[in-house]
Amino acid sequence: MANVTITDLEKVYPEKNGPGVKVVHSINLEIKDREFMVLVGPSGCGKSTTLRMIAGLEEISGGTIAIDNKEVNNVLPKDRDIAMVFQNYALYPHMSVYENMAFGLKLRKFPKAEIDQRVRDASAMLGLDPYLDRKPKALSGGQRQRVAVGRAIVRKPKVFLFDEPLSNLDAKMRVSTRTEISKLHAKLGATMVYVTHDQVEAMTMGDRICVMKDGRIMQVDSPLKLYNHPANLFVAGFIGSPAMNLFKGRLQRATDAADLLEFVETNEQSAKSLRMTLDARLSAGGANHVGKEVVFGIRPEDVLDTLSLAQPNPAHTTEVKVEVCEPMGAETYLHLTTGATSFIARVSPTDRFDTGQSVKVTFKMEAAHLFDPATEQALS
Amino acid sequence: MKISRILIFAALAGYLAWVVFPMAWVAYSSLKTDEAVFRDTFALPPLDALQTDNYARAWREARFGDYFFNSALVTVSSVTLIVLFGAMAAYALARFYHPLGRATFWLFLAGLMIPVQLSIVPLFFELRALGLLNSKVGLILVYTANGLPFAIFILAGFFKALPRSLYEAAVVDGCTEISAFWRVMLPLAKPGLVTVAIFQFIGIWKEYFFAFMFTSGDAGAGARTLPLGLANLSITSQYRSDYGMLFAGLVMVTLPILVVFVALQKHLVKGVTAGAVKG
Repeated sequence: MANVTITDLEKVYPEKNGPGVKVVHSINLEIKDREFMVLVGPSGCGKSTTLRMIAGLEEISGGTIAIDNKEVNNVLPKDRDIAMVFQNYALYPHMSVYENMAFGLKLRKFPKAEIDQRVRDASAMLGLDPYLDRKPKALSGGQRQRVAVGRAIVRKPKVFLFDEPLSNLDAKMRVSTRTEISKLHAKLGATMVYVTHDQVEAMTMGDRICVMKDGRIMQVDSPLKLYNHPANLFVAGFIGSPAMNLFKGRLQRATDAADLLEFVETNEQSAKSLRMTLDARLSAGGANHVGKEVVFGIRPEDVLDTLSLAQPNPAHTTEVKVEVCEPMGAETYLHLTTGATSFIARVSPTDRFDTGQSVKVTFKMEAAHLFDPATEQALS
Repeated sequence: MKISRILIFAALAGYLAWVVFPMAWVAYSSLKTDEAVFRDTFALPPLDALQTDNYARAWREARFGDYFFNSALVTVSSVTLIVLFGAMAAYALARFYHPLGRATFWLFLAGLMIPVQLSIVPLFFELRALGLLNSKVGLILVYTANGLPFAIFILAGFFKALPRSLYEAAVVDGCTEISAFWRVMLPLAKPGLVTVAIFQFIGIWKEYFFAFMFTSGDAGAGARTLPLGLANLSITSQYRSDYGMLFAGLVMVTLPILVVFVALQKHLVKGVTAGAVKG
């Protein structure tokens, strides 16, 4: 097993009569030994390109990649000691499941007995024993996926690379395979790099998550840290479902508490707008932005139904209108509006609301965030 | 509905007879004596007097044994070379970028569009200069060159249609560029290879024009192929009238094609319809 060190990595695709299109901008990332690192971001953010550069399938335009502290920039994929699981599985259609899994070992001239042992171990682990003689086309999507994973694990490589391996599976299969891959990581204790555009996959599987956008790394952190302390507006909006509620407005000194700040929502349609006194932490974070534009962010689960609270803080409470009420079973998504901004509250399913009704909600201020709209960086 | 089905079957049965009868006629006439052929042209041969001797005479007297060996050697060698080099060239043209790649591909395609008759004179002089006139090697070279454009055209399409991730999986698994081609990409192009092999086999087995031009000298007698032998037989039988032997020769020329076609037909159909529907 090994660590992967990415230093100032760049990828430029050549372009006719131009300087080329830069899709990865000088990124730095240290993937630790035995870590499950997820690269996540919207399509076109450079996450797959980065993974393919680690695999050696894509040339590196600048910077270095080191596996186990050895630079691999000019090492062929076959000599990097990596295994990759592809989005479309890429199983060899003319080989049986057994041959697919044994292929890499055969090429590396392993003794027959050892190949057999490793293939049988992997197939037992993945529940593929009944299918070893079948061709890939006689397997279901989930089974093919397992063969692709099996082909990777028999090799016992230094690093496993996964390129959106679940995106071709149906929703139910995706959830169960997700768990299987997580279990596999725990069992093998291997370094894994996993690319996905699905933030739920990223949250549930990663030891750490690297959020990317437009070829740049937005933030690298553990799932909960990303969720609770997004470094910028993009991460705040991307991680979490439903997404974080964002309000545009500005900061001013609170009228009733001299040492605190107050957030006033921008509302061009009417004089009525969201006004909220911030707590000490947010006030300290926004100290340099008094009188300036900011974005106030709060997650749906931190918008609470005031009636359900024993001692609601009146300074963090406001009255808003219900637009839509979506019962999800275990919880209810309440679509609310301040008049200028629509936002969502995640409330108890026992609460009943009607469209158009006014409700009082209390913001859990210790979980709220402030962002600078110009730099998009977090202020709190 | 029922009547239309009957009509369709009747039409198909008629067509089948139309196609099969001449072949059957040749086959059973090859077992008749000359006299029987003329007396009752379309009658089946009497079962107690089958003229299997026709075959023996064609094989020995008309030297069909030699022609058959020449044809087999020339055809198998040419088809092997066409499939081998065609696959390698098509793979390179389909999967690697080269500034002249497109131009090269079009150059090969141009080979499909030029009538072979136009190239006969320069080819003749070239073969003579190389000392390959009247030789099987010369024929093999000409057939191979002539078959490559078709092979490259068909196979490039096959290689282009193969998903890139299969190649990538192979190189991650430990393949070099060459082993990825041999062990993963080439086997996947099998329907294309079979299609090319069948078409070329049939074309070269029955090829007359080149064979006639390039083995016409006295020195070429040992390099002549079945179609030349058959032509020779039909010319001589005008004076000698040995239709039984001529029919036997025809059967010997036709049979290998039938055998190859029937054996590989399953793959041929796959090849022709490959990519038509999502697999």
